Amino acid sequence: MTDATISAREAKPLPKWAVVTGSIVAVVIAIVLANAAGLMPKGTLLHGALIKPFVDMVDLPDLFVQTIWEGFVGGVLYALIALGFVLIFKASGVFNFAQGIMVVFAGLTLVGVYEKFASFGFTGMIAAYLAVVVALGVMFLLAVAVERVVLRPLVNQPDIILFMATFGLTYLLIGLGETIYGGSAKVMIADQLGLPKGAIDFDILGGRVTLQKLDIAAAVIAVAMIAVLAFFFQYTRIGRALRAVADSHKAALSVGISLNQIWIIVWFTAGIVALITGIMWGARSDVSFGLQTIALKALPVLILGGFTSVPGAIVGGLIIGIGEKIGEFYWGPLFGNGIESWLAYVIALAFLMFRPQGLFGDKIIERI
Amino acid sequence: MANHADARAVSGAHDTFPKLLALNAQRFGTRPATRHKDLGIWHSWTWSEVRDIVRHFALGLRALGLRRGDKVAIVGSNRPRLYWSMAAVQSWGGVPVPVYADSVADEMAYVLEHAEASIAVVEDQEQVDKLLSISDRLPKLTHIIYDEERGLRDYDHSRMHSFEQVQANGRAAAADPAQAKALDDEIAASKGSDLAIMLYTSGTTGRPKGVMLSNDNVIISARNGGLFDRLNENEETIAYLPLAWVGDNIFSYGQSYVLGFCVNCPESAATVVEDRREVGTSYAFAPPRVYENLLTQTMVRMEDAGPFKKKMFHYFLGVAKEWGEKILNKEPVPLVARLKYALGEVLVYGPLKNRFGLTSIRVGYTAGEAIGPEIFRFFRSLGINLKQLYGQTEASVYITAQPDGEIHADTVGKPNIDVEVKIDENGEVLYRSPGVFLGYYKDPEKTAETKTPDGWVRSGDAGFFDPKTGHLKIIDRAKDVGKLRSGALFAPKYVENKLKFYPNIKEAVAFGQDRDFATCFLNIDLTAVGSWAERNNVSYGSYQELAGHPEVIKTLTAHVDEVNRSLAGEPMMAGAQIRRFLILHKELDADDGELTRTQKVRRGFIGERYAPLVTALYDGSKRGHIRTEVTFEDGRKGVIEGDVAIVDMPLHGTADTFREAAE
Amino acid sequence: MRAPSATDIAAGEVILAVENVSLGFGGVKALTDVSFDIRKGEVRAIIGPNGAGKTSMLNCINGFYHPTEGRITFKGKTRPKMRPHEAAAGGIARTFQNVALFKGMSTLDNIMAGRTLKMNRSFFWQILRHGPAMDEEIEHRKFVEEIIDFLEIQHIRKVPVGKLPYGLQKRVELGRALAMQPDVLLLDEPMAGMNLEEKEDMCRFILDVSNQYGTTIALIEHDMGVVMDLSDRVVVLEYGRKIADGTPDEVKRDQRVIDAYLGVAH
Repeated sequence: MTDATISAREAKPLPKWAVVTGSIVAVVIAIVLANAAGLMPKGTLLHGALIKPFVDMVDLPDLFVQTIWEGFVGGVLYALIALGFVLIFKASGVFNFAQGIMVVFAGLTLVGVYEKFASFGFTGMIAAYLAVVVALGVMFLLAVAVERVVLRPLVNQPDIILFMATFGLTYLLIGLGETIYGGSAKVMIADQLGLPKGAIDFDILGGRVTLQKLDIAAAVIAVAMIAVLAFFFQYTRIGRALRAVADSHKAALSVGISLNQIWIIVWFTAGIVALITGIMWGARSDVSFGLQTIALKALPVLILGGFTSVPGAIVGGLIIGIGEKIGEFYWGPLFGNGIESWLAYVIALAFLMFRPQGLFGDKIIERI
Repeated sequence: MANHADARAVSGAHDTFPKLLALNAQRFGTRPATRHKDLGIWHSWTWSEVRDIVRHFALGLRALGLRRGDKVAIVGSNRPRLYWSMAAVQSWGGVPVPVYADSVADEMAYVLEHAEASIAVVEDQEQVDKLLSISDRLPKLTHIIYDEERGLRDYDHSRMHSFEQVQANGRAAAADPAQAKALDDEIAASKGSDLAIMLYTSGTTGRPKGVMLSNDNVIISARNGGLFDRLNENEETIAYLPLAWVGDNIFSYGQSYVLGFCVNCPESAATVVEDRREVGTSYAFAPPRVYENLLTQTMVRMEDAGPFKKKMFHYFLGVAKEWGEKILNKEPVPLVARLKYALGEVLVYGPLKNRFGLTSIRVGYTAGEAIGPEIFRFFRSLGINLKQLYGQTEASVYITAQPDGEIHADTVGKPNIDVEVKIDENGEVLYRSPGVFLGYYKDPEKTAETKTPDGWVRSGDAGFFDPKTGHLKIIDRAKDVGKLRSGALFAPKYVENKLKFYPNIKEAVAFGQDRDFATCFLNIDLTAVGSWAERNNVSYGSYQELAGHPEVIKTLTAHVDEVNRSLAGEPMMAGAQIRRFLILHKELDADDGELTRTQKVRRGFIGERYAPLVTALYDGSKRGHIRTEVTFEDGRKGVIEGDVAIVDMPLHGTADTFREAAE
Repeated sequence: MRAPSATDIAAGEVILAVENVSLGFGGVKALTDVSFDIRKGEVRAIIGPNGAGKTSMLNCINGFYHPTEGRITFKGKTRPKMRPHEAAAGGIARTFQNVALFKGMSTLDNIMAGRTLKMNRSFFWQILRHGPAMDEEIEHRKFVEEIIDFLEIQHIRKVPVGKLPYGLQKRVELGRALAMQPDVLLLDEPMAGMNLEEKEDMCRFILDVSNQYGTTIALIEHDMGVVMDLSDRVVVLEYGRKIADGTPDEVKRDQRVIDAYLGVAH
């Protein structure tokens, strides 16, 4: 074929992807050659960083699978939290700093309500699910209150003001939570909710992989939740209205979509997501205010996935979750462990260098 | 060719369209005959449903006074009801006269007046308005029937009817045995030799002529065409070309009735590609322009694609270019190439064909004018069985076509079944076949000029049989193959096609007859050049501005230079290199009479209209100035003024001199 | 061509009345004491030089702005602070000067969004996408398809509108407004930035909307030819004040309009 268009550019610089792929290939070849040449004897730092992890992955595939699985479960939960952020960010342009505390608050409410029921001698699964309903009600009231007290008065204010307002909301919820439920950590009512316990073992690849049933349940529920949300967004009138609001406030108003109503729905949806995240995360450890820091993990996920993309939140969550576990397991010892706390940010930064808008972020196309 | 006689014999009793319709209702009663996408949904009608609709509409037409021999104008885009109208009119021995829907009022007035149409079946308000605006010139036109009611509710309905109304009247009449019998008698009374349809050819010169085709002409040609490509009732086609064009009449009407396959009417002209994809057409027909547009759009879209996708696309196109045609022609191909091609099919060709709506295509034709060889090969290399066909209205389309497996980019194939072709001493192609027309309506003089008493028709095209392949090759219109003053051969269309091969060039008009050297006008392709401009941040306010942009001129200069070099490589054509050219400030447009309705360049007309520019090309000026009147869609006029740059080209030596220079 | 004659409209019922409306932003007065009315079924043009307050006027009518003084009565009801979605629910649809579409959504979804208010609010069924909500969706889709057919935009049904050329975006925006089946349609420079052919199409669509659905239309337009062809009555604003009001012919002859609009020195 001849070139279909006029070519005005004389010499093009190499495209970025070519540079990247090229350098990676070059580095890999260099490492392999260097290793073969015996430049990196066992026990040295270089060997530990560049050779040993990969050798381990191949030698003990069962451990590798186990690591990936754990990363996957963590990733799914990160994705859920990020999803809460994305929902609110899309619909109201607010970066909701309070999403983390909403997870804790929802979890505490659930446990707190159940404890209240229990104090009347009302226990078991029915009580647990009734407590879920009550917790949902509380999240709904929270959504309404946020819309009334925070968003409506601050409409058309700069984004930073709204961001600060969510800061305020965070401390308000911490205070409120401590006042009502006390500051101590609580145990999630996982049994009462019927969440499975124990583990399943698989013998594969010449080893044993252990899957916690709870993790399986968490993954299944999170995936189902994401599917329901995606469906809701794509195919229902309210979903369409949500997308409309996310796209253009002005146009949404002109077709009669009430921003206030949408905001309540979005915050409530974020509240539901928070409750589910709270249950899952709480069941794996416990429900405490310390849990809110996992919201900070959502930040690299968002950077990676793009602030406006639901699929981005999911894929971003998985990349961070799995990347983090693999990093911790294979490279952690080199750094004296504990790299889990910052590795996510490094991964996000690395991606950011090549795609500033995130993996799935809206490509900025402006017609001039 | 005698072995096909038996196939014709089957048809003896079914020698008209209403008879074929009855036959199809019987043999394919529950199979779909017509589909139409409307309001986003495909609606379909079986052959027996179509028979009933046609019958009722025919009875309704009778009530409006339709009699044997009456002409009925059919105006609009490819709507089922317009096709059904043709059969309904033919049921009474009437003659449908399809008219180009985008004709301006004046052209339409001429055709309807000349054909003496008494009824018009039209698509919508736009056409009704057009007819009403010329009604004083059409005293014979007594009734207008429309398909689409929108906007027409408040019109005077004394002589205007909706299709539904006429159909409903006919349905009521069908209950009356006397009327039903009258219809049956009339259908039975029609013969194969009767006039079936009149098609006005837009012609490159003069007023349109009404080509009269008999039932036999259309039906036998359609059948032979079907035999040639082994078509059957399972084909799916999409009807999107003008009803008034003979091709559409054969492919979307004639062959559908003869073979019983389903014709799909698209939602609108703009949705054809999408609709074609949904239908999955197996048999397609398009002028080269359609294929050109598909290719241009693909290339433009690929320019915007990611680097990986782009790489993959070009790599596999390379594979296809090397092996695709060989695989299609069932030639031996190494296994590795086959594997690469198979991978390409999954990654590139398949998705691409799907995009074009050509995934399930069995037979695809291009005709109407020469297709650029690169475009032709591109589609073939993807595994699409695209073939060339040479036809004319006067022949009921078929003169020659390429049999499967005998495909050459520069030939138009072998004579079709029952067609005889000969070349006269001036190089003009003559043919004789069962499809040869009865004559031009009310114009025995022109008929005699074109058709000899023993049935041979002068095609007006110059051509020859290629001794190597036995295929016919068309050079140009016989009268258009001219000479420069120096005596060197000058085949304008040949040069224009070479130029139009470049996606940036939409149209080219070459001059040189009896001149000292060859020159040309060029039109840029707004899609291709506009996309380039967007990518390179070249801002432009109008077509005119873009056409005059220095970078654009530079690029087109390079294209012309390449064409000159290629002409220099052909000793016969070397004298016709383009010495000077200019880029026109406006797009050539059928509304302004610059192109025919089938989008062919009207060189003579353009030469007159842009006389100052032609003069400027030959008097050595650096720029030319022009004021042109343009017609907008509603018939209003405006003026476009322009100042265009003229580019001088260096000439290349012929192959021989070039070699000397190199030594 | 137009369905209701001038006398019909003169006698017609007032659907929307603007009385002594003023609008100020801080110290800047965008509108000062403007009064006019829009009668049922008419095409009412609002014209004036740039910065005359035309768009501010539309923004007041559909509730984007709240007049600082005066009142707006729509279908007999006066609301002091009508909000945009309430205006929409009441039957006011509009388009914008610079096109406000949902750029990431398809043409179809954009126009479907115009049906938001017409859909019933059974949230539960919607989530299940079943039963009444499914029937409803189909019914609305049919309505939207009619509009798509009407505006001849079938070919871009599934294309994200952000990718469309400007002229088509304007058409989609009109489609979205039509989907609301409004009593009053406000068009803010529906032909801005269009070429002649697109303008003619748009004119035809506007006339068809007016004729076929009897929709009342208020439009802002700069092209005087378009205004004279389309509208029944014209109100002329200059520096936020009304300087003329009447039929196109009357307005054209008005000396103040000639001075203001054409800037003729005398």
